[in-house]
Amino acid sequence: MIRRCLILPLRNGITVCRNNSTAVAEQAESTQESNTPAKNPLDHPDYFQVHNLFTVKDLFDARVHFGHKEGSLNEFMTPYIYGSRQGHLIFDLDITAEHLRKALNFTAHIAYRGGIVCFFNRNALNAHLVEKTALECGEYAHTRFWRGGIFTNADHQFGAITRLPDLCIFLNTQNNILNQHTAVRDSAKLLIPTIGIVDSNCNPNLITYPVPGNDDTPVAIELYCKLFKAAITRGKEARMKFLQENN
Amino acid sequence: MFLCYNKMSFAIKLTLKQALPIASRSSIILQNVYNYSSKATSQDNFYNNFTDWETLSKKKKVSKAMRAYLERAKEHDEFMKKQQFEYNIGKRHLANMMGEDPETFTQKDVDRAVEYLFPSGIYDRAARPLMKPPEEVFPARKAAEFDEAGWPHHFLFYTGKPNFFKLLYDITENIQDLYKYGDKVIRKKEVTDEKLLLNITGSVWLTKDQLEQLLVETVTDLEYDNFKLAMDRLVSLPHSHIYKDFIEKFRKPLATQRFALEIPKPSYDENGNAFVTTYECLRKKARGDVTIKSPGTGKITINGQDLTYFEDTQSREQVIFPLIFTGMQDKVDIVCNIEGGGPSGQSGAIRWGIAWGLRSFVDKDMLEAMQLAGLLTRDHRRRERKKPGQPGARKKPTWKRR
Repeated sequence: MIRRCLILPLRNGITVCRNNSTAVAEQAESTQESNTPAKNPLDHPDYFQVHNLFTVKDLFDARVHFGHKEGSLNEFMTPYIYGSRQGHLIFDLDITAEHLRKALNFTAHIAYRGGIVCFFNRNALNAHLVEKTALECGEYAHTRFWRGGIFTNADHQFGAITRLPDLCIFLNTQNNILNQHTAVRDSAKLLIPTIGIVDSNCNPNLITYPVPGNDDTPVAIELYCKLFKAAITRGKEARMKFLQENN
Repeated sequence: MFLCYNKMSFAIKLTLKQALPIASRSSIILQNVYNYSSKATSQDNFYNNFTDWETLSKKKKVSKAMRAYLERAKEHDEFMKKQQFEYNIGKRHLANMMGEDPETFTQKDVDRAVEYLFPSGIYDRAARPLMKPPEEVFPARKAAEFDEAGWPHHFLFYTGKPNFFKLLYDITENIQDLYKYGDKVIRKKEVTDEKLLLNITGSVWLTKDQLEQLLVETVTDLEYDNFKLAMDRLVSLPHSHIYKDFIEKFRKPLATQRFALEIPKPSYDENGNAFVTTYECLRKKARGDVTIKSPGTGKITINGQDLTYFEDTQSREQVIFPLIFTGMQDKVDIVCNIEGGGPSGQSGAIRWGIAWGLRSFVDKDMLEAMQLAGLLTRDHRRRERKKPGQPGARKKPTWKRR
């Protein structure tokens, strides 16, 4: 816990609430039940065992805890902040881990039920990695300029009735440093659930499953990609098994 | 007969309506409308064999998107069948009208018959009556880009330009591969063979139109620039020869056939002397032909006279310039007939004719030099007409305030 000694409480009066972290407790609970999987996957708190995909140490090693500078903080991100070090915000990785596990669990369930997952990322540095992840797990990616109306006017844009994604995963939710990605708003309009890595300067309000964390560093993005890929793979494998047993 | 005509006009009216420019999409994606289940991309990925939950279950539920597509495809098919039927009937009527055999009546005959029976002086070709097979008139339809469960075939489908962005993806993938390869080479301290290095001089990147045709997608100027930038980056890497095949798919050879515009071989007269005649030497209103005879002594004959046919020195210089430039002034004889125009036009025409004919007697380097000197370039300028309200073509009256 040396790193915690280095991190000072936020200067400008931002209160930090750390009492909403239940990650450890939930993990313990799910390991107990993992021996006897429930009939209905939805009844199980962690049917696909996504909690064992990563540890808080992994997140720390991947620099997930680094936020932006204090001045750019979005006030809705305050509950996820642990403190500030030398003017840079630091995420509470316990909270992040909890949110990430929920997101991974949801992803695996969507994959299990045959949903379409679409990855988003507007950071050119990480775009290729995200597209590659999508290709590798047989899902979809959109890391390019967002032409307005791809979701809201899909029939016209694609020239036919089109099935839209069932889950949007935003590896960063910003279009640039100022604007939010339009797809976040459009997904909310169309009731498409979203998972978003929200940095300290992003607004988590429209994201169904916000995951507070660093959304710029390639190492962090690599970790997220690896985790989501693993979750999707688990979901699809379970589905394949189910189909083979039931057909 | 009336019935015939009625039928005909109906067929023609139908085709006329559609005769306006129809986006000529490429036929790559426009295969059979029933082709919806054939996957366009071949990703050898395990999970792509997955379809939707319901598809694999016994009930085999089809998605809304696919149902809509199937409906449209069926409708389109029925429509095309009807059109085909009407076209065939119309063709038979036309054959009967023209008194020919309907069985051997081809599309060429149809065009001829329509031109004969419905003469039209309308300027725009697209507005003239025509009768074409329905496949040519109605645009073919895109095959479905998704499977029965509504899963798109392409992983970048939602970008709207999957092929183009897949291309960018591939370029990046190759660049990253080359980075890794370069690191490996450095680690092993290997030396690359100079012969292997990629040489792309003599070819250029595909133009935007060609790229669009290749990808079957529209590409914006910005996207095209991005494509070129990425490709240049790939080519600039030290081991880019590994992806030679990939790079060359997007390059097109430069036109190197500058002099391939066949240079005539000299003919030989009864004495065994070579000669070349250039007809149609034109400049301004002058017109003539120039014969170059080799070997010769540098004798120049213009309309039966010598170089003094031209009174001013400028015109004389014009005529002998190509000879002096190539150093052939004592090696060939020139005979030319020229008419029309004035001394300037006539001498210019002869100059071009001599230079054009000398191509058969000089080597390649000299050809290049002549090209650069502008000797082989035709001068197409003509006299500009006088405009009303002013004294000349461009000259205006002197400006006075009042």
